[in-house]
Amino acid sequence: MYAVETYQLSKVYGDKKVVNEINLQVKKGSIFGFLGKNGAGKSTFINMITGLTNPTSGSYTLLPDQGSSADKLRSRIGVLPDYSTFYDDLTALGHLKYFSRILGLKVSKSHMEDLLKKVGLEDAINQKAKKFSFGMKKKLGLAQALINEPDLLFLDEPTSGVDANAILNIHEIIQDIAAQGTTIFLTSHNLDEVEKLCDEIAIMDQGTIKTQGTMAQLRHDYQSNITVHIKHSEIQADVETSLNQELKAYGSDVEVSSKHTDLVVSSEQTIAAINRLYLKKDIDIFRIEVNEPTLEEIFLSTGENKQSA
Amino acid sequence: MLTISLKEFKNLFQSIRSIIIICILFGVTLGAAKIVSNFQGQLDQLGLGNNAYATGAMIIVLLAGPLFVLSLSHNVINQELSSRTIRFIATKTTRFNFVTGKMLGVTLFWITCLLIAFLLIIPFSKAFFFLEFAQTFIFILYFVGLSILLSTLIPKPSLTMFIGVSSAVAFTVLGFWSMATDNIFLKIFSFITPYFYYSHAEAYMAFPVLLFPIIFLAISLFVFKRRDL
Repeated sequence: MYAVETYQLSKVYGDKKVVNEINLQVKKGSIFGFLGKNGAGKSTFINMITGLTNPTSGSYTLLPDQGSSADKLRSRIGVLPDYSTFYDDLTALGHLKYFSRILGLKVSKSHMEDLLKKVGLEDAINQKAKKFSFGMKKKLGLAQALINEPDLLFLDEPTSGVDANAILNIHEIIQDIAAQGTTIFLTSHNLDEVEKLCDEIAIMDQGTIKTQGTMAQLRHDYQSNITVHIKHSEIQADVETSLNQELKAYGSDVEVSSKHTDLVVSSEQTIAAINRLYLKKDIDIFRIEVNEPTLEEIFLSTGENKQSA
Repeated sequence: MLTISLKEFKNLFQSIRSIIIICILFGVTLGAAKIVSNFQGQLDQLGLGNNAYATGAMIIVLLAGPLFVLSLSHNVINQELSSRTIRFIATKTTRFNFVTGKMLGVTLFWITCLLIAFLLIIPFSKAFFFLEFAQTFIFILYFVGLSILLSTLIPKPSLTMFIGVSSAVAFTVLGFWSMATDNIFLKIFSFITPYFYYSHAEAYMAFPVLLFPIIFLAISLFVFKRRDL
């Protein structure tokens, strides 16, 4: 069962296709990471599925098990937009009261206070938003997104501009609510954060999704760039030269020294072949280090990001 | 919708500008009522009677009402777009509820102001002028609808401030002018101002003006539903 499904969703501004026929499924109960550099079309995509922007073409479905009533659907969704501005004259508590009433909910004052404490605004419950720092506004933004205990939560850059302690707190909150079954759609420029929190990741570039899957699947897809470091017994200069030549058939960026070899291979099978080559040449292998690609490396290898890296 | 309208209503009452406008409205209404009471005999002879108090209040509304409404509510919609607070609202309720709620809030504010003004006349006139109250309310509602339309069509609050105030002055001047001229263009223009309908002796002629705010609201909703927030 999917919490979010889009079908050929597109947005065109003038003659520029900002979002280009995206088909995306987000599994119910998962934390879905949505990555892309600035201008990739992430925010436009989220704005479309949260109702802030009208799609040029295509369609989408949110929480299909909640029925087709738009009002009911709104009450089951929480959204933290990318840029949060609040009413200067309202306090943090006043904002939560206002937003909960708009949603038609009866939320107790104690519940709202607990929510503000949870996001780290315990000292600013009755403080007016005009005195809030950027980080405090982010926290209030998160609190308002959680006021209805949503089944589907959209978080656009929830930790940008927030201090380190607050980031850890927000991560805990995200993991807590995900554990309760809430589907979370998260965008972030912090790749470590996405790698740490998300079950599934999509990387968007120039309006299209370049790659999508779990971290393991993305790593598998990225196997064309496995960095291998081999520590071996000392070899003579002539063997070093010949090995250097031979290894070029196995991979790229080959660097052979008397005790170490570094190269980039395209598959795990190649590592086995290299192992056999060394055995044939009677070179003892002490250690093989295979560097698993980080999300950052995968991200940078994707589409336009590759060129800008 | 009700939550949005109540917030708008409270905001307008809390604003310093609104307090000043209310004071002016009350002050001038009372002043006019006092002046009118000095000429009570003559007015009775002219057949105006106690209605002269309500007429005084109505003249102020006809002259200054557009300026009051458009200067106070020119940014009723686009302020939320400009500050991007709309992004919280639009994910929680429909755009219809937002725009209609805003219009209801502004309307509620003005109906309260007019009601207080007409209640203040009672000690002088010993009567509540329901018909005149309804007429002034409909007149104000026209400009409430216009302010909703302007702030939906124009995204920048600074621009609607200028256009709103300019429109208020233009509507008042051209509205009155069109009643006293034979210029064909002004006559045509007069049909879309409320002044034309208020220039008739028959009180019921004010009621067709109700159609305008409904049309303004419908256009605003049409435009706002298609807007990217």
